[in-house]
This record gives sequence, structure tokens and C-alpha cells, in this order.
Amino acid sequence: MHLKEITLTHFKNYDIQKLEAGPFLNCLTGLNGMGKTNLLDAIYYLCMCKSNFNLDRDTRQFGKEFFRVEGHFVRKNKDEKIVCKVIPGKKKVFEANDVAYKKLSEHIGLFPVVMIRPGDTSLALEGSEDRRRFLDNTLCQLDVIYLNHLITYNKILKQRNIYLKSIPYGSRPNEQLLKTYDLQLLEPAKYIQVRRREGLEELRPIFNQYYARISGGAEQVDCQYQSKVDENFEAQLEAVRMKDLQLRRTTVGIHKDDLIFKLNDYNLKKTGSQGQLKSYILSIKLAQYEYIRQHKEVKPILLLDDIFDKLDANRVRQLLELLLENDFGQIFLTDTHESRTTEIADSLERDYKKFHVEKGRIEEK
Amino acid sequence: MNFSSKLIEEAVQSFASLPGIGKKSALRIILHLLNQDTNLTEQFCDPILKMRRHIKTCKECHNLSDAETCEICINIHRDKSLICVVENIRDLMAIEDTGQYRGRYHVLGGVISPIEGVGPQDLNIETLEGRIAKGDVKEVIMAISPTIEGETTIFYISKKIKEKNIRVSTIARGVSFGGELEYADEVTLGRSIVARVPYKTNQ
Ligand SMILES: Nc1ncnc2c1ncn2[C@@H]1O[C@H](COP(=O)(O)OP(=O)(O)OP(=O)(O)O)[C@@H](O)[C@H]1O
Ligand SMILES: [Mg+2]
Ligand SMILES: [Zn+2]
Repeated sequence: MHLKEITLTHFKNYDIQKLEAGPFLNCLTGLNGMGKTNLLDAIYYLCMCKSNFNLDRDTRQFGKEFFRVEGHFVRKNKDEKIVCKVIPGKKKVFEANDVAYKKLSEHIGLFPVVMIRPGDTSLALEGSEDRRRFLDNTLCQLDVIYLNHLITYNKILKQRNIYLKSIPYGSRPNEQLLKTYDLQLLEPAKYIQVRRREGLEELRPIFNQYYARISGGAEQVDCQYQSKVDENFEAQLEAVRMKDLQLRRTTVGIHKDDLIFKLNDYNLKKTGSQGQLKSYILSIKLAQYEYIRQHKEVKPILLLDDIFDKLDANRVRQLLELLLENDFGQIFLTDTHESRTTEIADSLERDYKKFHVEKGRIEEK
Repeated sequence: MNFSSKLIEEAVQSFASLPGIGKKSALRIILHLLNQDTNLTEQFCDPILKMRRHIKTCKECHNLSDAETCEICINIHRDKSLICVVENIRDLMAIEDTGQYRGRYHVLGGVISPIEGVGPQDLNIETLEGRIAKGDVKEVIMAISPTIEGETTIFYISKKIKEKNIRVSTIARGVSFGGELEYADEVTLGRSIVARVPYKTNQ
């Protein structure tokens, strides 16, 4: 699968811009703040129905009413036209070949995508939310049932929490209602947990391989799924009832799941060096890519944002060689240094396309 | 739009505040009324005022009604043992239009959704329990939209009335409701009420 052509209208700093991409490597170079990342985000948007960075209202170009992205993909030898039209605050419209989807969830996973960006270190450094999002992003692209269960779970959880917050101090809660929410949570929680556990079991060995390759096998790494939800989630919810009422939120559930990142049996965040951290995160993102690829009939699009920020030129070349060797499909890569990128891309001896980005304008070189 | 008359402007604005009527149509209506006799305008306005002043809510089922009890609830030919629970009056009307249902109704007035500030106590659930307590009811049909909030509501009510030993059913899923009940076409809706399924909770 690959993206042939993309047209952005009022998307961040792009007014109207068309780009014709090559099926393999596409390099976007330009100075800081010119719109390289924004273009990657537009591609991500077409695949995932949302920005990887912003809310819709910050994705629309300043002062404009709407934004639109049109993409022409080739998927299983068929042309597919995907259009999204977004007026922030209104219902988002996504169309495949001029027919609007009833639900956005029907689109997710058809055009798999993985973005690797400097901000990914938050996976190790920030709270568990980022790690859950990483897992969910992976699994949602593979399994629409997972996506639907996740949406359901989150909606029920939100209602339950708002109910807990709305109980006036000193008055008795409606136990029947809480019980109703508990029971509604059971099925989606079960499914989500099983899929997360399985998913991580499959991701782990791939991740280990990549880390060994990138780091030269210097350290032992591991990544574990952690969930406090057990066989009897219903009883657990009941057991924390008093606590939930006091704290006015749901304190147990798969919305508390986490991933434990380990380096030589220690917590990565506490003991890892800068370089180890970078290699760790890059490996886990590549593992995400590979895991999705293994389960899909089409190869995901890989978006590599500021990859040089993470690795020296030598490592980047190794990485690209690896990706291209394995016939990894279409790649978009951004860099501030044109010469550096050109040098590496030339050395790969493969067809590639080069674009120059300047103040929201893109030119093919 | 520029009006030479304040009176006309206000009247246009009144009409234009109604759903589905823009300023242009509003002006057309006003000009039409002006072309007619004064008493025709009075005849037009009177029923609306009268309706608004005298309309009641049925004390049994919360349907709209001219009297204390609505036409459906006083009709002895309608099966007392069957209550169809709906979210609102428009859903009730949609089901009535199918002509396939001969039981009675209960209008909840919404679904449980704390996000919208609607809790069980804001809905007509207690009166439903009251009707059931009288002992005539054998079956309750939940004709509530298949959203998460709808599910919560069905779940909650069926737990509440569980001990009463009456049948609880839902209108058949898999039938396309077209989002909301009121948009479902008459045939589909009618059929789904006839082919309702017993409601099972995992409890
Ligand atoms: N909603 C928006 N409307 C208009 N311009 C925007 C909007 N959001 C972001 N921008 C502009 O986009 C630019 C940032 O673009 P982008 O992040 O793609 O840069 P970049 O080329 O990736 O730079 P770097 O090399 O620093 O990563 C900024 O100048 C910012 O002001
Ligand atoms: Mg950038
Ligand atoms: Zn009545």
C-alpha cells in the first residue's frame, strides 16, 4: 500500500498544497518551522482520522473555517480516494471513494500508519496514559472489535465518573446505577485486557530483536504488560466502592493498565542513559511497525519525523537499509539538513523522491 | 432583511424562531396572513394558544393528553398487561403510527446520562414502578435507542423491576433504527415490536 498523492487545504501552515509521493522513500527537507512535521501529520490524519499532535481546532489553519485533506492511495492494487473534511466543532466527514463513512471506526486500520517522532520519549518519561495510547493505537489498527470495545469502555467510564462527581456530599449514592455501570464495563474490559496481553506477548520478541540490533546487544531489555484487573473485575469494582465514592472516580479498571519498560532488570526511566532511552524507544516503535505489518495484508506507511534527532547519520543509514531491504513499504522522512539526507538516500541506491519545504510550500527537487 | 414595519419584523422573527422555518418562509407566511381577513389570523392563532394552555401530561404514562389520562390509557381495548417504555413522545408517536402495537406506553422523558445532567431521578422511572406494583402488568417492552446510555437505562430499569416477576423484552436488535427510533420506517419498527426478544442481563 502507498500514498500516491495528497492535497492539503487549510491544514496547519498549508494553504493549498499538493504533493505527489513516490512508492518507496520520500525525503522532506527544510528549515525549522517550515511545515515538514505538519505534512506527516496530514498523512497520519488521513489514516487515523485524527492528528497525532493537536485537536482539530488547532489543526485548521489560523483564521480559516475548515480544513480538508485528500489522499489517493494504492491499496491491494486498487486506487482509493480518501477525503476528510473537518469543521472543528461539527461532525467530521470522512469519505472513501466519494462515499461517506457512517462511523469513523470503519476507516481505522484500512490504511495502517506508524509515526516515529522525537516526542516519543514521553513513552518512557511520562505517565501511563502515553503507554496505553501506544498499545491502543497499535491494537485499534489491527482489530476493529478492540476499537469498538475501547470506545464503549471509555464512554461508560466517563458516565460513571461524572456520576460519581455529581453525587452531592453527604447524600447516598444510587447503588443500582453504579452496579449497572459496573456490569456494563465487564465485557469490554475483558476483551481489551486479553488483546493487550496477547499483543504485548507478540510485540516483545520483535522488540528484543530490534534493540539487540540497534544497540549491538549490549543490554538486556524487556517490556511487560501490567494490569491490576483480575478474573473477577465485578468484585474488584465493588471492593473499591468506598474509595471510588471518596475520590469521586473509578479507581480500578483497564484504564489503569501500564507497560513496564525494563533495562537490565531495572526501570528504564530511572536508570537508562540518554542513548539507551533513544534506542529503546526507537526499537519499540519499530516493533510496533513490524507487528502491525505482520498482521495486515498491507504494509503500513512509516512516518519518520526528525529521525536524525535520535540517531547519528550512520545509524540512520543502517536503519533505512534495514527497512528497505525488508521491503518495508512506503516511508516519509523529514530532516533539516538537505545534504545529509541526500547523501544517505543516494547511498541506498533505490528510487527516492526529494522535496523541499519552505513556509507551507512544498517543491519536488 | 429590511422591514419598514416593526410589527412585521417581530412577527417574522416569531415564525423564524420555529424549527425548520427561515426568515424568508416566515415573511411569506406573514404576507399570506395579511392578505386574508383579520379573523382568519385569529382562527389560526387560537388553537395554538388553547393547545398550549390546556395540554396536559397523562398521569399514567406521561403521554400528551387533553385530560388527566390520555386516550391510550383510557382505551379499554388496549392491553393493560403490556407496557412499552419509550424515551419521548416522538418515539411513542412513531410506534403508534405502525398500527401494530395494542398495548400501553410509558414515556421516560430521556435516558440516563450523567454527562447531560440526567440521572434516574430525573426520569419517569418511579411512576413506572408504581404502575407495575399495581399488578396488572405482565410484560415491559424496552423500545429505547441502542446507544450506551440507552443500554444503561434498560439495564437499570430491568434491575429495578426484576423482583416483580414480569417479562422484560427489547425490540429486536439488528433492525436498523436509522439512529433514533423516530426515524425508523414504519414497517421495520412495527415488525421489530412484534418480533421483540426477551432481555437478558448477565445477572
Ligand atoms: N493551525 C495552524 N495554522 C497555521 N500555521 C500553523 C498552525 N499550526 C502550526 N502552524 C505553523 O506551522 C509551523 C510548524 O510547522 P512544522 O511543525 O511542520 O515545522 P517543521 O518543518 O517540522 O519544523 P522543525 O524542523 O522545527 O520540526 C509553525 O510555524 C507554526 O506556526
Ligand atoms: Mg518538525
Ligand atoms: Zn396515558
